[in-house]
Amino acid sequence: MRILLMGHPNVGKSVVFNRITGANVTESNYPGTTVDYEKGYVRIGHEEMEVIDVPGTFSLEPKDKAEEVAVKMLERNKDSVVVCVIDSTKIERGLYLALEIIERGSRVVVALNMWDIAEDKNINIDVEKLRQILGVPVVPTIAVSGEGIKELVSRISGATSVKIESVMKNVGGN
Amino acid sequence: MEKKLSEMKYGEQGIVKSIKGDLRNKVAGMGIRVNKRIRMATKQPIKGPVVITVDESNISLGLGIAENITIEVEK
Repeated sequence: MRILLMGHPNVGKSVVFNRITGANVTESNYPGTTVDYEKGYVRIGHEEMEVIDVPGTFSLEPKDKAEEVAVKMLERNKDSVVVCVIDSTKIERGLYLALEIIERGSRVVVALNMWDIAEDKNINIDVEKLRQILGVPVVPTIAVSGEGIKELVSRISGATSVKIESVMKNVGGN
Repeated sequence: MEKKLSEMKYGEQGIVKSIKGDLRNKVAGMGIRVNKRIRMATKQPIKGPVVITVDESNISLGLGIAENITIEVEK
């Protein structure tokens, strides 16, 4: 099984990546572009999983080459689990991308990264409520110190895909 | 007072009133949506892009995009 790390540029995807995979990192070049992605491995239970650090993207409507790579990777790995890394201090934009990924039918785990910075800025996020609304695992993380990474990894194998309609229903929208 | 984003002056802030057509989806990924508070950060001369602050991050938009976003500017 594959794990894709997706999120905006500069939310800490690569730090999460290094935390999850440890030192076992290889780098490769995606054909046709100059954008690099990184690949590593993690053992969950008895299964060895490939983890891919996808280039940062703001949305799934690509505006440049790097974003095109990100979208293509998602499309080519429909059966993979997407760990959507969100900057907790800019959660709204991050959730937009997370919802786009959920809408495409991928299994998603949300990592609310930079949790400590959000706390410093007095940004309170109701994780339990977010979990209920999205219907996917939501884990606060501080990648630089490693906090929450263990829980994040433990949620990956149990991730399921969610219908966007049910998210809309939970949030009370139309 | 309502203004086009492209007509806002340096330092002015306001709430996004409307975004024309399919531009909505294009700017949504950058955190710009109706009812969102924004602030003009920098404006480049000679039809250059505008830089606005949304959720504490700066985003630059081409004038063509900025012309299609209407803002309720606060006094």
